[in-house]
Amino acid sequence: MNRQEKEEYLREYSILKSQGKPFFPYAVAKDSIMAVVVMGVIITLSIVLGAELGPKADPTTTTYVPRPEWYFYFLFELLRIIKPNWLVPLATLGIPTICLILLFLLPFFDRGPERRPEKRPIATTLGIFVIAAMAYLTYLGASAGSPNSIELATPASVKQSGGTMLAQFEAGRQVAAQSGCLACHKFGENGNAGPGPPLTDVGRNLPAGAISRTLINPTPPMPSFKDLPKEKFDNLVVFLSQLK
Amino acid sequence: MKLKLPAPPIPASLKSPPRRPDEERPSKVEGAKEAGISAVDWVDERTSLSGGVRWMLFRKVPRGTNWAYTLGSATMFAFLNQAMTGVFLAMYYDPSATNAYESARYITNEAFLGEFVRGMHKWGSTVMVVLVFLHMGRTFFWGAYKYPRELNWVVGAVLLVLTMLMSFTGYLLPFDQKSYWATIVGVNINGTGPLVGPYLNDFLLAGPDFGATTLSRFYAIHMLLVPGLIAALIGAHLYLVARLGTTAPPWLKAEKNPELRKESV
Amino acid sequence: MAKDRRKAKSKYTADRSIPGAFEGETVTRRRFMTGTVHASGAIAGAAIALPALGFAIGPVFEKKPVQWEAIGPVDDFGPDEYIPKVFTETYGIGDVGKTTAYVRQHNESIDGPQKDEYDAFVAISTKCMHLGCPVRYSSAAERFICPCHGGVYDFQGKRAGGPPVRPLDRFYTRIRNGQVEVGPRYSVNAELRRFSPRYPGEPIDGIGQYLYPSRPTARKLPNS
Repeated sequence: MNRQEKEEYLREYSILKSQGKPFFPYAVAKDSIMAVVVMGVIITLSIVLGAELGPKADPTTTTYVPRPEWYFYFLFELLRIIKPNWLVPLATLGIPTICLILLFLLPFFDRGPERRPEKRPIATTLGIFVIAAMAYLTYLGASAGSPNSIELATPASVKQSGGTMLAQFEAGRQVAAQSGCLACHKFGENGNAGPGPPLTDVGRNLPAGAISRTLINPTPPMPSFKDLPKEKFDNLVVFLSQLK
Repeated sequence: MKLKLPAPPIPASLKSPPRRPDEERPSKVEGAKEAGISAVDWVDERTSLSGGVRWMLFRKVPRGTNWAYTLGSATMFAFLNQAMTGVFLAMYYDPSATNAYESARYITNEAFLGEFVRGMHKWGSTVMVVLVFLHMGRTFFWGAYKYPRELNWVVGAVLLVLTMLMSFTGYLLPFDQKSYWATIVGVNINGTGPLVGPYLNDFLLAGPDFGATTLSRFYAIHMLLVPGLIAALIGAHLYLVARLGTTAPPWLKAEKNPELRKESV
Repeated sequence: MAKDRRKAKSKYTADRSIPGAFEGETVTRRRFMTGTVHASGAIAGAAIALPALGFAIGPVFEKKPVQWEAIGPVDDFGPDEYIPKVFTETYGIGDVGKTTAYVRQHNESIDGPQKDEYDAFVAISTKCMHLGCPVRYSSAAERFICPCHGGVYDFQGKRAGGPPVRPLDRFYTRIRNGQVEVGPRYSVNAELRRFSPRYPGEPIDGIGQYLYPSRPTARKLPNS
């Protein structure tokens, strides 16, 4: 904004201001009504959802799955998707710090006189992009499943056959969840994307025999599961081969 | 029997003159009003505050000001709710590693209205974060951070960081599993900063690991240091808003004063 | 020229239109009083700020005593299977000071020759070296798995995948009266060389050990 534009803005603004109404009581009335709404929302949330207190902090746990408050989900997901370990400082501090510095300095690099969002395509697009990216990361973070359980729905065919089949399938689900498969494979929303391939529908590509051969003689870095007890191993193979 | 007390020795100049026969006796309401006004006058004579208050309250806000302009004051109101409920929670809370969870449990399960007040504090923080982002979004998309309000944007950005810091430090205090692990992760995020990171961690944790004084450190930051900064910066933010005026919606064009237009023709 | 102009300047503040000038005030007097304000203000400010700052960062220099805790007889631990053991890492804060380590006997076929007396048993910390979440050992996969951001470690605690920046930390172990005892924590680099303990998320390979210094009072055990 050069000097002329600044003066023009101030002149324009002073006219708009002189045509306005006094802050008290006109603007204050809106503010007060909004305050009532805000308090109403807070009190309603407090009554309906309460203040849940989880189990006591336990540093010795090896089963707890920590998840942050929802408004830190985007940061949580950022930490999850940046996998190479030499990029960790970038994910933890680099990207947030750069974003924050850009945010602080915004009025110093965006100095054009235009204020209407539709006339500032770059700023508006960037703003929408940032919001969309944060919303998407938040969504991903919120739906990130635990690596200690598999929440895939049981296939209809397995449900129909019932009996031993269903029992073996559910037992195999437990084995898969507890044997660390999720560290490298994705099952639906659970588990890590890589280094191994996703196993959400592994049964479609591989028959039971091929699955059990791979489990015993895998390509590194996958470890061999030949030491699993026979029953657990069979259940695991049934579970995997029925994922279609 | 009616006891008549002697009149106090007030100098004649201070006594109100006797009522004239044709004068009406002032009503009780009138008298109370009179007393109120004179009390305000007494304070104003000694502080000269009325000018500032008048300037603040009766300044004009531009034409076209709508509900989107209430987001800032709504955020401040959420902060006041946090401050208020926080004071009451502090009356029961014990920031020690051994008792924190027990006191949080007492507040939630046993204290009268305890869960309600803790819920207001907890959900108030969520509402405040949402409002901060909405307020910032409005400012961003409507170009309200531009000349002459650049400094107010910077103050607002600092307030955003402080709000996030409040949520982060407040997180730990109930001391359940979620609090503990979220704090561990958050603290270790600071630690990944080269050179200063490890020392920052030591400062935050008050030692090499989560220790006896970590909680009280977070508690002091959460309820003394950051709220003080936030209150001071809200004051600065509001002063700048009043000084520079709230923006008008960007689509609004000033109609030239009809009389001026006549002149220009 | 310039010299002449300086000479021509009056020594009274009033003549130089310095704000707040009053009759008879000289420039040097004004300078002296301004200097007094700055100096005494700085001293008073520092007198408040420095002790407070020192008090706040004092714990950085506190030395943690070396403590050992018995976790079970030597025969309890085999070379191929980890056993989780809970013990106290920070004293004086009850259950919150406890931590879990996965313990096994030193296994020459995997770990190579035993380094010293602290190496007879391997005690691996359950804090993920990405950001400190609690890892779990899965015996079927022989992997340590972190539930937060997808870190995976192999049988020795070396990074096998995901974002962790170094292998899992370990604890010193020793044998006393037929019991395995665990002591202070230490960090290891990718070759499992010992380093004084660091926080999670801090790489110690290459330049990392200088970028992320340990606490000045936290050192490796002597001769280890």
